[in-house]
Amino acid sequence: MTESIIRTERLTKRYGQARGVDELDLEVRQGEVFGFLGPNGAGKTTTIRVLLDFIRPTSGRALLFGLDSRRDSRAIRRRIGYLPGELTLYDSLSGEELLTYFAHLRGLKTIETGRRVAERLDCDLTREIKALSHGNRQKLGLVQALMGEPELTIFDEPTLGLDPLVQAVFFQLVDELQAAGRTLFVSSHNLPEIQRICDRVGIIRQGRLLAVESVADLKRRALRRLELRFTEPVKAERFARVPGISELVVDGPHLSCVVTGSVDPILRAAMELHVEDVISHEPSLEEIFLAFYGNGVSGGPPDAAPTPGTPPDEEVPDAA
Amino acid sequence: MLRSVFAKVVHDQWRLVLGWGVFAAIWPAMYVGLYPSIEAMGSLQQMMDKLPPAIREFFASSELNIGTPEGFLNLELFTFIAPLLVLAYTVVVAGSATAGEEERGTLDLLLANPIPRWRVVVEKAAAFGVGTIVIVAFMWAGAAAAATAVGIDLDLGRLAEALVSVLLLGLALGGLALALGAMTGRRWLSSGVSLMVVIAGFFLNGLGALIDWLDPWRPLSPFYHYIANDPLSNGLDPGSALVLVAWAVVGLIVAVIAFERRDLAR
Repeated sequence: MTESIIRTERLTKRYGQARGVDELDLEVRQGEVFGFLGPNGAGKTTTIRVLLDFIRPTSGRALLFGLDSRRDSRAIRRRIGYLPGELTLYDSLSGEELLTYFAHLRGLKTIETGRRVAERLDCDLTREIKALSHGNRQKLGLVQALMGEPELTIFDEPTLGLDPLVQAVFFQLVDELQAAGRTLFVSSHNLPEIQRICDRVGIIRQGRLLAVESVADLKRRALRRLELRFTEPVKAERFARVPGISELVVDGPHLSCVVTGSVDPILRAAMELHVEDVISHEPSLEEIFLAFYGNGVSGGPPDAAPTPGTPPDEEVPDAA
Repeated sequence: MLRSVFAKVVHDQWRLVLGWGVFAAIWPAMYVGLYPSIEAMGSLQQMMDKLPPAIREFFASSELNIGTPEGFLNLELFTFIAPLLVLAYTVVVAGSATAGEEERGTLDLLLANPIPRWRVVVEKAAAFGVGTIVIVAFMWAGAAAAATAVGIDLDLGRLAEALVSVLLLGLALGGLALALGAMTGRRWLSSGVSLMVVIAGFFLNGLGALIDWLDPWRPLSPFYHYIANDPLSNGLDPGSALVLVAWAVVGLIVAVIAFERRDLAR
């Protein structure tokens, strides 16, 4: 049931010095939507390009469907759909011609599946690609990736340049694919996207895998900012020893703090007084993400909780 | 249409090849058409005879005799113009065969399909080979049509052999450009270096005819194998043809091996 579709074993790819991945151990199981989360330059695209045998590992290996990424590349690629991160299509072809070309290379009899997906995404296949907007090209990229009904689809930044309406259709497609038992590998630096569509997420930074978590666990374990308003001014000391609390600020009847894990202790302490209002800010994956990046420790709640809502820290490289 | 990588190249390039073929056909047609008027100015041969021997030898490996159609065409057409017309095509398209897609960024998408890398190289090379044959065929047709029109006595079979020699020269250096493109992933570098080899080869062959110590090195130049035997007068020399074919085949093999092994640029 949980056969692994992708497995990397101490996968290492070094280029000169900058990019690359380091001893990556990753497992994606059959039928799951796996998110691969990290800033630009963290090694997401490098990993994907090893899986597709565009580049070769410095050491370690990658297995897809139990097959070696190098030796059995052709058999593997027959079962994969791929949307590249920096999508470039053949400008002189129309969408239909592009699909026809790839259908032949894939040994598909028709492009009917492609047409259906294109219709869902409202993607015009008759126009020449050079006349298409960025968003429309991205749609065509999705169409060609899904055309062969692949067992595994690898999306590198799939919603880049899609307007919100089309994004919603894409999310719907992902749900349907998952319901049909397909496996999806989605790389992204867009946290709401991962949060919306993924079951599990691998967090990568500077070529190293920091953690692999279920999205549900991440949320559960996550930080949240809690604001309480009391009927009369309260003293900070009253709450200072409540477990799981940080960044406690008390200003007259207003209290705000960051809670790690359960909110039960702080609520119990608050109930001893008259609480007028409670506001809990749902943690975004951004905060979780920054928490991991803040201390760079794999797994476990971070010791020093970063302030939610701060911009990404400056050591995040933004080189594409 | 669009059934394979080969078909895709044909789809992309047939207009270019036909256009270039027509353009390339104008030159042989023009020189053949001009021949009767040149011949009529008999004194031109005497003028040529007065040129310094060094100049004559540089421009024509065999006897410089513009008193015959063969001599005239060798000097005006086959020394420089005909190879240039064909090499301009082969060096540019072969240099960007894989490197063009690699630089533009379409290669990832192409190779995500279950097609082996070697096949991309071989199918593209085959398509360019066919394109070169078409261009050379146009050149032959242009010359043949002009010869009939002005009524000169030109052996069309020998003309074909000379153009096959041009074709093989084009494929030889196309093979080089293909290999460089597959190794580096950079099209202008590949075409540029190949063009420099063309120029160096041209001068090595030409100067080798004049300078004694350079003479033993002439076989290194593809131009030597292309023209030294004067295929227009004597027919295609199998040995020379084989050397040019070997250049092309080695280029293709190196291209396939390099392309199979390399990390592809994004």
